[in-house]
Amino acid sequence: MTRALAVARYVASDAWRSQRVLIPAALQLGVLAVLFGGDPGALPAPWGASVLALYPVAAWLALTLAQTEDPVQRSVTVAAAGGPGPVAAGTLVVAVAADVLLSTLSVAWPLVATPYGASPATVLTGLLAHLAAGLAGTAVGFGCALLPRIGWSLAAGVIVVLATAVQPWLPPVGAAVAALETGSGSLIVPVGVALLLVAAGTAALARRS
Amino acid sequence: MLRVEGVHQRYRNGPPVLDGVDLACDPGLPVVLGGENGSGKSTLLRIAAGAARPAAGQVRRPGVVGYLPDRFPARLRMPPDVYLRHLAAIRGVSPAPELLDRLGFSGPRREPMSRLSKGNAQKVGLAQALGGDPGLVVLDEPWAGLDAEAAETLLGLLAEVAERASLLVTDHTGRAARIAGARHLRLAGGLLRESPPGAGDTVGPGTDADLAEPGAVTAPLPATAIVLRCPDPEAVARRLGVSGRCAGDRLHLHVPATRADALLLAALQLGCAVESVGPV
Repeated sequence: MTRALAVARYVASDAWRSQRVLIPAALQLGVLAVLFGGDPGALPAPWGASVLALYPVAAWLALTLAQTEDPVQRSVTVAAAGGPGPVAAGTLVVAVAADVLLSTLSVAWPLVATPYGASPATVLTGLLAHLAAGLAGTAVGFGCALLPRIGWSLAAGVIVVLATAVQPWLPPVGAAVAALETGSGSLIVPVGVALLLVAAGTAALARRS
Repeated sequence: MLRVEGVHQRYRNGPPVLDGVDLACDPGLPVVLGGENGSGKSTLLRIAAGAARPAAGQVRRPGVVGYLPDRFPARLRMPPDVYLRHLAAIRGVSPAPELLDRLGFSGPRREPMSRLSKGNAQKVGLAQALGGDPGLVVLDEPWAGLDAEAAETLLGLLAEVAERASLLVTDHTGRAARIAGARHLRLAGGLLRESPPGAGDTVGPGTDADLAEPGAVTAPLPATAIVLRCPDPEAVARRLGVSGRCAGDRLHLHVPATRADALLLAALQLGCAVESVGPV
């Protein structure tokens, strides 16, 4: 665990220096600015759009984080950490921290920038919906990182995100968006499925050669 | 202590690179690994260091491992000091930036490593692998890109490290022949064999011109006859990685003259007495 946290600090520092993680983060901020700049309507329905945006953004972020190191550099890190497990776990910590940060920003933005308020229960619903999408995106990004070429990673990521985001019955993202838009439905299932997906994605990342 | 047992590895559609490799490496008994280009040395080192998983077989290694890949990445974004700090934290040890000074590192320490020369980048790679008292040190071509002075320093550093850690090294510059008490193994056809240096392994065509002795390849090496007295001559011959004639408590050896000093030192460390040394 200590090693995973040390890896997390290392990955965060390296990713910050590479600055490639800034592009997806800036994209999410751009979506939020456009979405909540005018009159989006009463919450929680407008959060559906920011949840949908966060899904590919989180996938892009996770893919970038997983590929921050080149394979030789990673082999040194893996040997130092005592195996690929702590390295995957450290990458996960950074990706989840980014998900939490972007989710909090997405939920807080309309509360600050628009006249519409929300009850604590509605805020919690919005936060859980964003987290479900963020974690699912992280899982997709880690899965795409296993592909040998960045072009294939990109194609697979786009196809998976497009196919899974628009099914209102499908947890985690489709169901989370539907729950926000209809104002009914629990977010326990989407969050639970997202957690399972991100655990599987991290385990797959730890098997990467 | 490092134990590699029955390790197999193959790449897609190719013949096996490692075909049941067993290797033991302990503190005080460093192992120098030889073999042709593409024989699988780097693959075996990656597996020994824990940077890659074997297709089959077992590896047991200590908790703290120092690993230097054959081409230490030159395009890292971090400055050397920051990189060394992070790698030490990942190992759970304290960083050892003074190793950079010992190796004669002359680049900027607070600017990205991508601005470093190859030799200076290699010194950062060595400092991260050797620092923090690792239990196992795995170095793939550690002399690559080093100047003569740093190469000598590295030999001294390796002698210090080998006392406390298992040391596994590949080398084609011939310098590893001077690591005292080392076992020399050769990887060929996916299997490891004993291979004393001087038998056309560590010194051969295509080695670094500054180190290979002129004529070492074509002319037969001058040989030295050594007689040792030891409690168990056969075990000593095995541990030294040489073949010799055992008679009672005496071990008669013929070794290349360039190897004699290192071998005598190793024999003394193993508790043998030297009875005679002379030309063959």
